[in-house]
Amino acid sequence: MHPELREFGAGYLRTQRKDWMSDLGFAAQLADDLSPEDLRMVLSVFGADVERLTAALSGAAQAGDAAAFQRAAHGLAGAAGAVGAVALERACRAAMAGEGAIPAAMTEIAAISRVALGDLARILAGLDAPA
Amino acid sequence: MSEVVARVLVVEDTPTQAQLARALLVGLGHQVEVAESAGAALVAAREWRPDAILLDLELPDYNGMELMLRMRAEGIAASVIVVTANASINAAVEAMRAGAVDFIVKPYAKARLAVTLANALEKRSLVAQLATVKARLDRDQFFGFLGASAPMQAAYRTIESVAASKASVFITGESGTGKELAAEAVHRASPRVGRNFVALNCGAIPRDLLESEVFGHVRGAFTGASADREGAAKLADGGTLFLDEIGEMPLEMQVKLLRFVQTGTFSPVGSSRVERVDVRFVCATNRDPMLEVQAGRFREDLYYRLYVVPVELPPLRARGEDVLLIARHFLSQFAREERRAFAGFSPAAEQSLAQYSWPGNVRQLQNVMRNIVVLHDGDRVELDMIPRTVRRGAADEEKALGELAFAEVGRAEVGRTEAGRSENGRSENGRSENGRAELVTAARVVRPAAPAGEEDVAEIVPLAVMERRLILAALRQTGQDVPRAAALLEINPSTIYRKLQTWRVDGKLPAG
Repeated sequence: MHPELREFGAGYLRTQRKDWMSDLGFAAQLADDLSPEDLRMVLSVFGADVERLTAALSGAAQAGDAAAFQRAAHGLAGAAGAVGAVALERACRAAMAGEGAIPAAMTEIAAISRVALGDLARILAGLDAPA
Repeated sequence: MSEVVARVLVVEDTPTQAQLARALLVGLGHQVEVAESAGAALVAAREWRPDAILLDLELPDYNGMELMLRMRAEGIAASVIVVTANASINAAVEAMRAGAVDFIVKPYAKARLAVTLANALEKRSLVAQLATVKARLDRDQFFGFLGASAPMQAAYRTIESVAASKASVFITGESGTGKELAAEAVHRASPRVGRNFVALNCGAIPRDLLESEVFGHVRGAFTGASADREGAAKLADGGTLFLDEIGEMPLEMQVKLLRFVQTGTFSPVGSSRVERVDVRFVCATNRDPMLEVQAGRFREDLYYRLYVVPVELPPLRARGEDVLLIARHFLSQFAREERRAFAGFSPAAEQSLAQYSWPGNVRQLQNVMRNIVVLHDGDRVELDMIPRTVRRGAADEEKALGELAFAEVGRAEVGRTEAGRSENGRSENGRSENGRAELVTAARVVRPAAPAGEEDVAEIVPLAVMERRLILAALRQTGQDVPRAAALLEINPSTIYRKLQTWRVDGKLPAG
């Protein structure tokens, strides 16, 4: 692994809040397992998934379409689980299990997603920074 | 990176998971395809034939369980690893019951994925090897042999096991059981297959020439040795030397062979030059080698050098259904060669072939089938097309079996009378069954008897005269058709041609 990326990963793990990527051990593992190019690609895809699926969740919630909401929540939970974003995954799975009303679940998921996307942007910017 | 490069199909509809799996698998050195639905996965599995499938159970069209069922129905044998979240481990266990080999929990590290995949691939490889072994155990053909009977399977396994080593092989079996075929099989299944297989029939070579045939000679070594000549030992360097009828080898030659076997070195006749070769020895005899040792005809030290891995070829009469399997093979082959319509046997013909004891083993069966095909035609071989020797032999054996069975029943009756009525008749049945097993064994070794009265009417003349009469009679009867005459006499056509030539030279036949 590129030493700059390892440094970045370690610094990131020390400083980030636990509301996104609260499974920090796994996030470090991702940085170890993937090349910088692959890590950037996976995180970029994750960002796109979060934007697409939160929009789908929002649309389903507004339409009162429980089935579509479930499908989008399942997708987002899977994406979050894959990169170790445990808080987001947990919120999505709670929504899928019907814990609380859809609007309230939507509000929570949207909030966590916004934080996640902000953090993700910073990580990607760090990856792109010159060594 | 794992050692085995595999084709892995990732079935995942969430791009993050799909791309992460792809990146990890490519990093492990595997080839990867991604399918985003069950339908697309089925197509990819059908066309791309992956070794392993990383399967998410929740898919947009139908679920992973259904996909596994469909793949199994189509005979797709990829190892399926189910990818699951902690919350759905029960589903993963259920998937394993449905045929998945393992499951992996998200999020997973590269090392975990590598181990899980390696285990799945190893299991798949073992399953494939097991299938191959099972297929071998059930095989009815092996390097030119035909036969699926248990004794032949045992011979195949021994040959296969010993082939890779350099150990000497000693093949025993009656004439016509395929000893040379077995020797060739040892060679062809061995790493020496690219080098020479040299066969030497020790019984067919004059004593004085045997040493030269084995070790070669130099020019002037003996009268007629006008040039250097390599022997079988040199020709077989790196390959296999097959010494057939080793029991016929003179004792003085056995001493020289022993030295060769022990040291791998020899000197051509007439030379003091020592040559070293790498030869694998395969020997064969139709005698009991230990009895030959005890009788002083075979050196004990040579016996122990050569009798390392014995391969015993069973006589045809001990091979059960193989008789008909081989008969059908030869019938098909000869019918094609002779342009006959034969496609099978009548039940009575089959019974006759199956009951005969085949003292000449496969070679005799081959000749009989050639005889039938040359002399007859039809859709199937009928009983009356089978040579009388075989029919009579089979009938004699059936009769002997019947007589023995009758005698056995008599004994059982006596036993019953003597022992009184036993519990549920079990002991009588037991005796009867044992008796049948014994009499079947006894009957199987009965040889066809000479036709009744034939000895009484035969004119006694020199054998060579009788041979000439018989051959000429067969030629007359077949309109001078040598192959048909040969089939009638159960000899090779070349024998007739050779005899005719000799008789012409000797003036016992008109020329032309």
